[in-house]
Amino acid sequence: MLVTGIKSKPVYAPLQADLRGRYHLMLAMGVGAAPLLRVIAEMQDCAPQALKDTQVLFVPDSATAAADTPGIDEFRAAAVGGAQAYPTTAALLSEFKEVLASSLMGTRLYVAGPESFIGLAMKIALEFNLNKDEIRAEECGTLARRVYCIHCRATAENVRTNIVRCLSCERWLLVRDHYSRRLAAYMGVMVDAEAPGELPPLKEVFL
Amino acid sequence: MNDAQTLAVEVVGIEQVTPLIKHFKLAAVGGGSLPAFSGGSHIIVVMQGGDRVHKNPYSLLSAPQQLDRYEIGVRRMEESRGGSHYMHDAVTVGSRLEIAHPVNLFGLDKIARKHLLIAGGIGITPFLAQLEDLHGGAVPYELHYSVRSPEHAAFLERLRTREGDRLHMYYDSEAQSIPFDALLAAQPLGTHVYVCGPAGMIKHVIGTAQSYGWPDSHIHWEQFSAPPVGDAFEVFLARSNLNVRVPPDQSLLESIEAAGVEVPYLCRGGVCGFCQTKVLELDGELQHNDHFLSDAEKAKGKSIMPCVSRARCQRLVLDL
Repeated sequence: MLVTGIKSKPVYAPLQADLRGRYHLMLAMGVGAAPLLRVIAEMQDCAPQALKDTQVLFVPDSATAAADTPGIDEFRAAAVGGAQAYPTTAALLSEFKEVLASSLMGTRLYVAGPESFIGLAMKIALEFNLNKDEIRAEECGTLARRVYCIHCRATAENVRTNIVRCLSCERWLLVRDHYSRRLAAYMGVMVDAEAPGELPPLKEVFL
Repeated sequence: MNDAQTLAVEVVGIEQVTPLIKHFKLAAVGGGSLPAFSGGSHIIVVMQGGDRVHKNPYSLLSAPQQLDRYEIGVRRMEESRGGSHYMHDAVTVGSRLEIAHPVNLFGLDKIARKHLLIAGGIGITPFLAQLEDLHGGAVPYELHYSVRSPEHAAFLERLRTREGDRLHMYYDSEAQSIPFDALLAAQPLGTHVYVCGPAGMIKHVIGTAQSYGWPDSHIHWEQFSAPPVGDAFEVFLARSNLNVRVPPDQSLLESIEAAGVEVPYLCRGGVCGFCQTKVLELDGELQHNDHFLSDAEKAKGKSIMPCVSRARCQRLVLDL
């Protein structure tokens, strides 16, 4: 029932340093620290001068944080130009906007973390007219989705199931692969519109 | 675009705006509105000059909101194959010309946060139309316009009046040059740069922007190459079963058209990629003069842009 093969579903690739850029702005949430540290290690090997123009914004993910997962200390130890941790995603994104507002052409953006985090960062990057050739993103962590109710326009966070009840209008929504970059959310469409009350079995699919 | 889709226009005004540039105003024969266009568009002007048909691309410089006439600026080229000389010498008020519908290969990015326009000489023309779209809008922009000397500064009064301090002038005669490094090193995120002018200037802007980390999606340029002259050669059109001779001063595309075979095209200047043609056989080398194929594609020799490119060979077979 989950429609697949929809082109708007974002595709991610393992992060690599793009040394054609002059400034490197890196955002990570939780386990997203590891891919960024891998890029930084790549820079240390082949372009150490790029590190001073590298800035990291990090938000730990309390749900997945364990003693042995890398965090802000590892970024600070890597001698990048700046590394800052934020208590919440909202605080990080607010600072991200400030940074973009004073950034220059030649900046490359790297984002690593759960897709919902990547989506929120991309939404802001889009407002600053960053194009595909300026952004790299690697997905890691939970596949839980942000789901936009196309009926009442409410957005549900952390959706792990194939269908979800809209918290605002209480319709049961089918979570589609149809993704909006502008809303940073997957589209949720009323699942029992044709046959009221007939719902597919509830399954956890986005883990 | 083929000739069936051309429009008949009449020259309703000509002004010599610099020693080398004439400004032409074209209206639809019989009056009425011309097709709508957006800033940065060009038209192809078809000139029936003697035994030769010239089809040259010219940027529209008039306001996109004003459709009772199109305006173009034509620079007299020293090494003209005839097109610009025909426009300068043979065309008078009242002359009739055929033009192809406008096509835009140099449009403004609609969601840019800033526009940086860089013009050299006659390269000012597409920007004149774009400025009409930008003027009074919320998105900041600046125009850097470089010319040989004050007498060569076409449309300067119009620009000064409308653009004020957004206009930055540079005169070679006064040893002034556009500070490309300073400009491209410090633009806010979301800026797009547009350049139109001599080949060297375009190459320099692209290279400088890239060296400051600009991604290709933020760099826009337009340069219509005139088809260069070269050695005569012969081409066999496989599907049409025709041998065509290409003389030194005629392009491959023009020769194929003269033989009665139609090739789709939009710009005739090596930019748009529309006339890309498959090479089936070749026993020499292709002389690529376009800005469309990548270096790797040019090296492969499997495609040619007949509008500006030629061959030095005994035998060339095209899929036409």
